[in-house]
Formats: sequence, C-alpha cells, structure tokens
Amino acid sequence: MNAALGTAGVTLGLAASVIGALTLAVGLRGRRAPLLRMGRSYAFLVLGGALLAAFAMERALLTHDFSLQYVAGNGSRSTPLLYTFASLWAALEGSIILWSVVLGGWLVAVVVRFRDRLSDPLVGWATLTMLVVAAFFFALMLGPANPFKEVAGAVPADGPGPNPLLQNHPLMAIHPPMLYVGYVGFTVPFAFAVAALVTGRVGEGWLTVTRRWTLVSWGFLTTGIVLGAWWSYEVLGWGGYWAWDPVENASFLPWLTGTAYLHSVVVQERRGMLRVWNLSLLAATFSLTILGTFLTRSGVLDSVHSFTESPIGAWLLAAFAATVAVSVGLIGWRGDRLRSPGRIDSPVSREGAFLANNVVFAAFAFVVLLGTVYPLVYEALKDEPLSVGRPYFDRMTTPLALTLLFLMAVAPALPWRKASGALLRDRVQWPAWVGAGAVVVAVAAGARGLAPLVAFGLGGFAAGGALRQLVLAVRAARRAGRPLSAGLVGRTNGGMVVHLGVVVIAVAVAASSAYSHSRTATLEEGESTTVAGHTVTYLGATTETDDRKATIRAEVEVDGEVRAPALHEFRNATQAIGTPSVQWGVVEDVYLTLRAAPDGEAGAATVGVLVMPLASWLWVGGGIMALGTVLSLLPGPRRRRPEAEAPAEVVAPVDEPVAPRADPAPVG
Amino acid sequence: MRRRLPWIALVLVVGGALAIGTLDTGGGARSDEERAAHLAAGFRCPTCRGQSVADSDAPAAVAIRSQIDRQIDEGRSDAEIRDYVLSRYPRSEQVPPRSGLAGLVWVLPVAGVVLAVAGLAVGFRRWRVVADRRGASEEDRVLVERARRSS
Amino acid sequence: MGATTTARAGVRRRPALWGAVAVGVVLALFVVVLATRDPATNRTVDSPLLGEPARALAGESVLDGESFDLRDAEGRWVLVNFFATWCEPCRKEHPQLVKFAQDHQVADDARVVSVVFQDQPEDVERWFRDNGGNWPVVDTDGEIVVDWSVSGVPESYLVDPAGVVRAKIVGGVDATKLDDLLRRASAQDEGGS
Repeated sequence: MNAALGTAGVTLGLAASVIGALTLAVGLRGRRAPLLRMGRSYAFLVLGGALLAAFAMERALLTHDFSLQYVAGNGSRSTPLLYTFASLWAALEGSIILWSVVLGGWLVAVVVRFRDRLSDPLVGWATLTMLVVAAFFFALMLGPANPFKEVAGAVPADGPGPNPLLQNHPLMAIHPPMLYVGYVGFTVPFAFAVAALVTGRVGEGWLTVTRRWTLVSWGFLTTGIVLGAWWSYEVLGWGGYWAWDPVENASFLPWLTGTAYLHSVVVQERRGMLRVWNLSLLAATFSLTILGTFLTRSGVLDSVHSFTESPIGAWLLAAFAATVAVSVGLIGWRGDRLRSPGRIDSPVSREGAFLANNVVFAAFAFVVLLGTVYPLVYEALKDEPLSVGRPYFDRMTTPLALTLLFLMAVAPALPWRKASGALLRDRVQWPAWVGAGAVVVAVAAGARGLAPLVAFGLGGFAAGGALRQLVLAVRAARRAGRPLSAGLVGRTNGGMVVHLGVVVIAVAVAASSAYSHSRTATLEEGESTTVAGHTVTYLGATTETDDRKATIRAEVEVDGEVRAPALHEFRNATQAIGTPSVQWGVVEDVYLTLRAAPDGEAGAATVGVLVMPLASWLWVGGGIMALGTVLSLLPGPRRRRPEAEAPAEVVAPVDEPVAPRADPAPVG
Repeated sequence: MRRRLPWIALVLVVGGALAIGTLDTGGGARSDEERAAHLAAGFRCPTCRGQSVADSDAPAAVAIRSQIDRQIDEGRSDAEIRDYVLSRYPRSEQVPPRSGLAGLVWVLPVAGVVLAVAGLAVGFRRWRVVADRRGASEEDRVLVERARRSS
Repeated sequence: MGATTTARAGVRRRPALWGAVAVGVVLALFVVVLATRDPATNRTVDSPLLGEPARALAGESVLDGESFDLRDAEGRWVLVNFFATWCEPCRKEHPQLVKFAQDHQVADDARVVSVVFQDQPEDVERWFRDNGGNWPVVDTDGEIVVDWSVSGVPESYLVDPAGVVRAKIVGGVDATKLDDLLRRASAQDEGGS
C-alpha cells in the first residue's frame, strides 16, 4: 500500500514535470500565452507528487512497514519517534524524496510569485528549466534510487535502525532540511540565469528577482552549514567543527560562489557591468550543487557521510555534465552580445572592492574544489594514491580569509566610482582604531602568535567598518524622522549585520584553532588532572544496556560540575561511538570525551579533555548571520538616484534598485 | 602632516602590540609527547575517514599511535617514523608533497590568483587609457570656454 | 557611449565565447576523469602486502602460551586473521574459520593464526572455549597491526607456502571462498603464471 502510494506520487511528479516542460517548450516556441500559463498547474502537480511520495514514506516509517527495503534498512521499532521521522533523510533514497519536495516547493513559490507574469518568456524559460531538473530527480526515484522498492522474500520483523550517529542528537531533524532548502533553492536563480541567456534579457527585472531569491537560499544554506558544524562538534566527538570533509566541502562550494554573486550583483545593479560574470556565477553555483551531490553519493571519495555506492553515481555525473554543457554552451553562444560596455573608473572604489571580493571568493572556491577532487585527478594520471587533508585547506584558505576580513573593513567606507586617498583615510580611521584596540586587548589578555593576532586585528577592523555603516544609517534614519530600526533593515544594513556575524565566526575560528589545549589522560577513580586551569576528576563509570546498545557513561567532575561523556556500543557497529560532553562558556568550552572505557567497573578510564577558547562564539556568529539575512530581506529606505551622490557626502544606505535602465532589445 | 599623526600613532600601537605578541614563541626542541602528537596529526586515520590519527580512537589509529610512541622511544627521527607509517599506510599522508605532479595542488591556486590580479590590472589600465583617449569632446571645450568667459 | 563595437571575431572581441570554450574543455576532461574512477570502497581491498613476502608475525599464543612464528609455517598455507571479541562481524565469521581449520586439519596443508588487539586475554580465552578453534592467537600492542597495514577488523590475509601474501579478505571470511582462493592460487603457481 505504501509502496503503491509512493510510486504513484513519484510517477505523478515525473509525468507532471515532463509534460509540463514539453507544454512550456511548445508554448515558448509558438509564443502561445495560454500554454505558458499552464506551467502553474504543472508546478503544483509536481509538488503534489513529491508530497505524496514523502507522505507515503513517512507513513511506512512510522508504522514500521518493513516490506519496503528502505524501511527495512533504516527503520527500527526501538528508534524514538523523532529519529524515525527524520530517517526519511537518513539514507540516499529517502533524501532524494526530500530533495524533490523542496524543489517542488520552490517551483510553486516561483509560479505563485510570478503569477501575473507567467506568459512572459523569461518566466516561462525559468519554469521550464526547473521542471527539467525536477524531472531528473523523479526519474532517479523511478530508476537507480527507488525508495519504494519492496523487500524480496520474507518481510523482516524489525530493522537495524538508522546509522547510530544519526540517532544521537535532535539536530538530525533540522540540519538536513535546512541545508536542502538552501542547496536546492539555488536552482531558482540558475533557472532565471538560463532564461536570461536564452531570451537575452539581463536587465532590471531579472536582476532584483534573482538577487532576493538567491539571498533567501543563501541564508538557509548558511544556517544549514553552521548547524552541520555544530552537529559535528556536539555529536561526532572528535573535538572539532570542520574537517574539510568532502561532504562539508560539497555544501561549502556553492555557498562561496553564491556569496560572490550576492556581492557582484550589486555592481551590476549600480553600473550595469559584470552581467556575464554574474550569469556564470549562478551557473557555477548550481553546477556545484550537482557536482557535490555526485561526489558524496557516488562513493568515489571517502567521507564520514559516505552512503554506499550505487549506479546513481553515473546518473549524477551525467546530470553534472549536462548542466555544465548547457551553461557553457549558453554563455559561449549568447554571452558576448549581453556584455555591457561599461568600465570601472578606479580600483580604489566600492566597485573595485567588490571585484577584489569576487577574485578572493573565486580563489577560495578553487582551492576547496581542487583540494577535494585532486586525489581523483592524481590517481587518474599516475595510478598512485594521494590524499589532501585538513592542513592543506587550512594553510591555503587562511590568507584568503584574512584578505576577506580586510575587504569587509574597507569596502563599506569606499564610495562608488572613485575615492581619494584622503577620503578613505578619514572614513576608515575609527574602524582601524577598533582593530588596533582588538590587538591590544588580545595581547593584554595573553594571546600570542602572529596569525591569530592579525586575525583579531583585522576582525576588529572589519567589525568597526560594519558598525560605522550601521551607526551612520541609524543616524540618517533619525534625521529623516524614522524609527531607529529603519537604520538596521534593508540590503546594505542587513549586510553589515551579516558581516558582523562573519567577524564573530572568524575570531572564534582563530582563537579555537590557535589556543586550544588538549590532554588525554588515563585516570583511576578519584584521580584528577589539570588542563588549562580546569581540574578534571574521574568519578566512576556506569553501564546501561538496552536492546539497541550498551552505554558506558563516565562521570567526570569539571570545575564543580559533573558531566557524563559516554561510549555507545551498538549491536551492528564494530566500533564504539562516543558522545562528547560539552560545557559551554563565554570564554571557553570544556570538551570531554571518553576515549577508552574502563576495564571492568572499577578500572581506569581514558578521558580526553579539550579546552576550546571562544568556541561558543561560532554559534552566536551563525545566529547573527541569520539575523542579518532576515534584516536584509526586509524593505529598507528608498534609494536615491546614484547621480545625486557626491563622493564625499555621507549617503543614507540605499536598498531599492536604481531608476530602471532600459532592457536591451530582446535577442532573437 | 597633522592628518597623518593619528595614523602614525596607530601603526606604532599595532606594531608594538604585535611585537610583544610575537616575542616569546617558545621554540626549542619539542617534547616527546609533542612530537608524537604532531606526527600523529599528519596522518589520516585509515578507517574513520576524515579524522587524523591523533583525533581518532579507531583501533588502527590507536595502533599507529602506539607504534609512533615506541619508535620515538627507540630514538628514530621524525622523518624515519613518517616513512615507516607511509610504507604501511600509503594513502594516509594528510598533506601532499610540494614537488612534482602532487605539488600542483599548491601551485595552481597561487598561479590562479596571480593571473586574476594581473588580468584585472590590465583591464584597469585599458579602461584608463580609453578614458584618457576619449578626453573632452569639442562641444565640452566650447561649453567650458563660454562659461569661463562669462564668469 | 563611444564607438560601437563591431562584431569582429577575435579573442578580445568575444571573451565570453573563448572563456566558455576554455572552461568547457577543462570541465569535459574533469568529467572524463570522474567517470573512470573506481568507488573508494574497492580500494580497501588493495594492500601494499599483496604479492610481497609476508611481514614478521611472532608471539606467544594467548590460549596455551606456546610460541608461534610465521616463518616456521613455511610449506603450508596460513590464514592470518585479525580479530577482536568485541567486533560483531568477527564473531559472525568465526564458525567459517573453524570450518576452514577443520577441513585442512587432516592434510595439514593450511593453518589459521589469529591476531588480537585491544582485547582482554580472559575474553579471548572464553570466546575460543565457547566457540571452538585451537589455533595460535597472538596478542599485540599494535606493532603487528601496523606492520600488516591493517585498517580494521576483521581482516584476513592468505599467505602461500612460499611465504608470499596472496590475498586480502575484508569484512568476514567464508570457508568455501577461502578454499576457492587456495585452489586458484595453487593452480596459478603450477601453471607458471
């Protein structure tokens, strides 16, 4: 019953997306508006099909219907309700259902938002592109990744449950959906980029739309990535939050190109330049989401997240190749006719800063991509293995990150078009003092080492730059008789808040990488050890057994509080899985792990103690970034025409697009 | 000169703080424990994917760590220990060598950035040349002359 | 706006096209590389030991205190089995090892030796007492594990009578498959591959 329901849903989704795409294609070719408007119904049908499939799978999971192979492999009667619900995305086939639901959601959002413009070829092409992508994912579910395949032979009475690592923490219920909303959401700007290339309309309307939608996806992706880091820290127990693991990199790459786009699109709005570059960025962002999915699902790379390999790898690679072919083809064919003849007056200007920002982000993305795939390329050429680990990424990305901090400090103070040295020096003066103050405070607090101190200084500088902009905006709002909060909303001001969040994260990363202390000690009952001023005493261990696992909990007293890091021995795993115990603090986190269980009840236990300064600031920074994204999306003060700005005058932050530029005549 | 004063002060303050901050970087020989930890961190754990031998508690990682400890006690050098571990677990070096085909992974990004900056520099120069060449048109000159004469 | 750009074909006039071509070529090569890769899990079966003389393996058996040295077993096939009592798949494969040992007991052409790591001697003794198996079980502090490039348990290595490692089996042995391997490897030697 569930299998039939689910397969019906998938078939509905596939049929709707294929027929919808064909209908729109015919409508676009013959310029028949009624056909184009039908795109709306098909979008709803696609979402309906996806929701039906998801409903069927959840019903199967929650009722423990082990006749489905997916439930038999991932469900269990003894798994708590929340994790059973979340096991929809615990393994490959189910996560494709989630993908199609999210994609269906975005499709419907597009056709609803543009319901008045459905007969516009631009919207038509965008919807068509999204339907083609949806068709691919539904085809996956009818082909190599069928979640509704039934068990051959006898139906088992119970299942092994999801991977133990996925049952440890409620974050499992939020992190993947958040990530998917962002990740899949990048399909929308890509679809509009394709539409723009095909119709030749790269002007006003397309621009604002894609910018806001990209920002929403970007916000979700940022939150998803931060939640992933938090999960890694709280659940995996290796004492870190980012390992440059291929799956982490797969989610990070589109974030990098997406961030580059969010900045360079402002240059396009203001000066009409960088059109083709922006289109390329959007194409790259979407292609990276497909590539990332391929890398993590095909099994070509080792990863903590690796699902088992399956023929899905070939399909995903084909999808990546197709996406790249379409993007490169369209840009090569149309790109030159869409280029604007504008120019940038001076590198010392806000346009210049955004250009530099793009170069750095492109380099960043290149480093991460290269490091992730180089082992494959090397092996293809030399037939020898090679591994590229964390130290490579850390070393190569640190100078780029520091450059970005510097740009964040300087760019808000730079006017458009051209800046004189004197003007710039005036404007960055007090942010520079904030940076200097940060270095002094850090040194006074005992921090040593050039790299972290430079990071603190640049972080302070960047924070000063962002704060300066916010203070000016709030003052301008007051002068114009508006409430204080008006100075905090809108694209520029929200962006400054996001920058503040980034600075907080940068400082946290610098501090926790450079100043953490760790010690592994084997302690008898009652024995203590001291790490970085914290006294850690092992009190004893208790063992609990249930039908899923045996849990050994070590009671450890730290600074007067008793904490309990644990080791879980699951029946179906060869290695015990540890749960760390993290004591959060404003200044530092004390991170405890049970590395080796005591021999017998009264034996000595091996306890790992890690003191991580400023680790909790990471999550605070992530929250600030999310807040800033929301502020960015709220309507801000009306923009003044750029011609009215004088370089030396302080301008009220602007948000709405410039006075409309004429679209170039639609090409072909 | 007066405008530059605050900047000079800033440079002095930051420079001074950094000087203090980078003075005592310890140095000297590493202790055995530090050597072991440093060596272990340079290898990827064979089973656990993505963790270093220092971080992981998988049996293979524990075994490698105990061997590193033993070989440090036996007096072998860092290079010898590294060679031994690599001979047994060939894909486990965390950081690719700097030379040869593998070294490309270090060189390509730097080359990319240099090329991009060079490209931008060329672009800016060309834009400026175009602007200079365009200069002021004849009509503009006449306008300016008229305005100057009338003021 | 300046002079209109004439549509002269040439790199400077059409940067988007040439950029796209360059990127397209690189990405096409990249896709080819990706398409020809083996899945990572297949690589676990590779091992630097295959085809090489077996590394040292010597110690006292946990079960009876007798000393064992792999070099003494020359002339017979030896299945070196890395094992732990806390490892579920190891426990599952144990009966197959017992069967393999029994099958070859009469002809005495193949022996089994186990290596344990991070295990309590009492647990090992109890396990073998309850589940059979009377071959040497060598304990190690990690040296043998690392020397044999073992990544996890269970892993087994088949060493031929000449002392060369012929096969690596990951994730659980099967007695019939082991016999097959043995036969194939012997045939290879005789045929003078």
